Amino acid sequence: MQKTTVVVIGGGATGVGILRDLCMRGVDAILLEQQDLAYGTSSRYHGLLHSGGRYAVKDAEAGKECIEENTILRKIGRHCVEQTEGFFARTHLDDEAFEGKWVEACAKVGIPTIPISVEEALRLEPNLSPKIKSVYRVPDAAIDGFRMVWQNVASARKYGGRVLTYTTVAGIEHSNNQVVGIKVRNTLTGEVSNIACDFIVSAAGSWAGEIAALAGINVNVQPDRGTLIAFNHRITSRIVNRLRPASDGDIFVPHGSITILGTTSASVNKPDDTVPNAKEVVELLNIGEALFEDIRSYRMLRAFAGTRPLYSADPNATGRGASRGFVTLDHAHDGLKGFVSVVGGKFTTYRLMAEKVTDLVCGYLNVKTPCRTAVENLVEDTSPALMAKARLYFPAYGAELAASRLGSEGLEKVIARIQEKPEKRQLLCECENVTMAEVEEAAADSTSYMISDVRRKTRMGMGTCQGAFCTFRSVGAVDANGLSWGKDTNVLFKEFLQGRWKGIRPILWGNVMREMELTRGIYEGTLNINGAIDNEGI
Amino acid sequence: MREYDIVVIGGGLAGLMAAAAATKRGKKVTLLSLGSGTLTIGGGIVDVMGYLEGGIPAATPSAGLLQVGAGHPYKKIGRPAIEESIRFFKEICEQEGYSYIGNLDKTQWIPTAAGTLKPTCLVPRTMDTTELKKADKVTVLGFDALKDFYPSLIAKNFKKIPAFAQKEYEVVMIDPKLSEGRDVTALDVARWLDTEEGLASCIEKMRNVIDSGSVVIIPPILGTRPNYAVKEKLEKALGCHFVETASVPPSITGLRLRTMLVRYLKKNGVRIVEQAIVAKSIVEDGKCVAVITEGVDRERTYYAKSFILANGGFYGGGLLAEPGKVIEPIFNLPVEAPTDHELWANYSLFSSEAQPFAKLGLDVDEKMRPLDANGKVLLNNVFVAGRNLRGYDFSFEKSGNGVAIASGYQAAMSV
Repeated sequence: MQKTTVVVIGGGATGVGILRDLCMRGVDAILLEQQDLAYGTSSRYHGLLHSGGRYAVKDAEAGKECIEENTILRKIGRHCVEQTEGFFARTHLDDEAFEGKWVEACAKVGIPTIPISVEEALRLEPNLSPKIKSVYRVPDAAIDGFRMVWQNVASARKYGGRVLTYTTVAGIEHSNNQVVGIKVRNTLTGEVSNIACDFIVSAAGSWAGEIAALAGINVNVQPDRGTLIAFNHRITSRIVNRLRPASDGDIFVPHGSITILGTTSASVNKPDDTVPNAKEVVELLNIGEALFEDIRSYRMLRAFAGTRPLYSADPNATGRGASRGFVTLDHAHDGLKGFVSVVGGKFTTYRLMAEKVTDLVCGYLNVKTPCRTAVENLVEDTSPALMAKARLYFPAYGAELAASRLGSEGLEKVIARIQEKPEKRQLLCECENVTMAEVEEAAADSTSYMISDVRRKTRMGMGTCQGAFCTFRSVGAVDANGLSWGKDTNVLFKEFLQGRWKGIRPILWGNVMREMELTRGIYEGTLNINGAIDNEGI
Repeated sequence: MREYDIVVIGGGLAGLMAAAAATKRGKKVTLLSLGSGTLTIGGGIVDVMGYLEGGIPAATPSAGLLQVGAGHPYKKIGRPAIEESIRFFKEICEQEGYSYIGNLDKTQWIPTAAGTLKPTCLVPRTMDTTELKKADKVTVLGFDALKDFYPSLIAKNFKKIPAFAQKEYEVVMIDPKLSEGRDVTALDVARWLDTEEGLASCIEKMRNVIDSGSVVIIPPILGTRPNYAVKEKLEKALGCHFVETASVPPSITGLRLRTMLVRYLKKNGVRIVEQAIVAKSIVEDGKCVAVITEGVDRERTYYAKSFILANGGFYGGGLLAEPGKVIEPIFNLPVEAPTDHELWANYSLFSSEAQPFAKLGLDVDEKMRPLDANGKVLLNNVFVAGRNLRGYDFSFEKSGNGVAIASGYQAAMSV
């Protein structure tokens, strides 16, 4: 039986943040994730590192936390952050009176807002609608949710942290009102086992209610579904927020060569209700038009949805009315010692949430080591010498991308693979500049069990073609290296392409429709991966 | 003003076959082509009917034709015309020295680059599986740095196919040394084999890894030209049988077929205009008088007695999809589509059902003329062929090039 001091449930930003913090303070910890890391809400949002401007009016405390954490994450997570800055732009449709309230509220919590003229804004962002009325610059930034989660794990591993993915919680073991262990189930093998521990921290986000229920405790988390669109263009170089009370479809966030528009807000019954639909997409486009008039002429890549874990002590509060601040629930008050849930919150404040929870746990464990997550960088910078070496093997643009994706250690390993077999420098994914060596490296990681896991680590299959070309190559390369996880390759093909399809189906028109004719032509028409393995007539 | 008998819009297989059939009838033809059609992407294998609704394999292409539903293009075209079109296609291939094997009465199961088999009807001789079926031992040969071909994947998956499970597989690699730091495609290898030096070098490298008498599965690389010279020289030098797989783009088999058909059309006096984007039409009294192109230079007007619309459905730009509706941009022909976009597609990408969106397209009569919702002919001298047609899912059925040939032929015959 495995043993540890603390089991952390949830492989999103908060969970990995807690894992890292615990391990850095010398506390032994294992993290459990029901799917792959960053499978849940931490990758299913717009990737905005909030300045706090969006919350300043309604929730000053949240606004203040955002601007403080924003400053910290730019430093410790600089490989995950693109320092784009942001605009708050009021359109001709928005209430003028709100503008003054907003400026005042931002000033109160220390969020700098710099007014600029509409002409200047249009010069900086020419795609913005000329109908906008006023614009402010704020210190927003874009953040890569996948990468942030991964780099937290990489850091935690250096301090002895362990991660079990595709592992669900089957039961919370306790004796005399004190947690003694956790029963877990590996969803790939079906195997059930126990992990002895003194403490369980649930950072399960939208699933926190389900986890608490295993111990007979009520935690009132309302999953709130948000749908977003990824465009295949950098429509704007800055984040653009609509200057109005927070509502649907009013944030555009550029990430590398793409832009994300979000979000909608709708209460749902199930935390994994993440299948977007065409109606939501059309609604988002209609709203987004106020900021970018040509929105319909931009090629969409996919739609996606996540569920926000909105917590309320009052079971009747829902949607945007419920608090986006976070709460740490010590279930000792519910009669079970050694069990804590952290609920609510937002990506931008994940580190702060982790710090507060870890403080609480360390208090019980009598660990006095202070938190250092705000001062120690997630991954080491890539040295100029290593970058020079990388440029020998990667295309110029690809070298920078790979370095920021992989961090110093990962890049070193990928380069070693290419040095051993030079043809592994080939790009399996041309859209995102991912080499064969990088796909192999990600596939070989102990948390990879399918091509989608490789995708989340490398971004392969996330570009324009959405897997049309790289699916075949990555399955082939992974299989050729004996890394296909004991699965039939047709299963790997289907799993990956079905995952891509989920986000394509709701935007199936225009060039996306053309792309789909191609993708189906290749995989269904030519390679017949849908056909039964047939021996009729042979 | 030059007037042609027929203007064909679209340079894919449907358009090329329509032009070929029209010239055979002595018509003066202009073919307007935007690109190379999908032949160089989808490939030169002629699928006719592989799977029926429910994912049930058709016993033979011929049997499959009888079992399609009422809305299917094959039902409109009718069996005699389909048979004639296939015969006509094979005649051209034969005449041009690049013969295809197969017929409507037998499904050919051919190997794919994913290590599966796919049902098809006609294939070039480079894909002849006769020797493969007989062999006890099979060699799968790959090329270093060719990222679109994984021989171990094929060997491993063939072991799972009942009829192929008893065979022994050996995976070998050769290094064509084509990379020079860039990525290599099947087209690079095929071009290498087009040259005398490349072929000689390849034979040397292959001699080291394959035994005489072997059956060797390879990516489609046996030259880019529509003939069997590379295949024959390689087989003679090495005493082996080579079998090309169906593979991902760029498609060499499709490139060969296109080269051959274009050559045939030029020989028969067809005028081919490349990079022609047909933007609009002039219609008077239910008849099309001319179509207008917007190319790189100026607008050009093409007058003709009849027009064949074969510009490739959604992929080729013959149809444009918007949320809840489909537009045919040249003639503004009506396309019936569910206004609720949720009904366009299945939740599963792959299943035992065809995809509803793949069946969206233009409704036609038995002469391939476009119809309105009430079944009335809209334009008397416009004939629709290929992927613009409604009622078939080529990926699911394995029917793409079959519908292209049959409908292109039927359109030309109806003029």
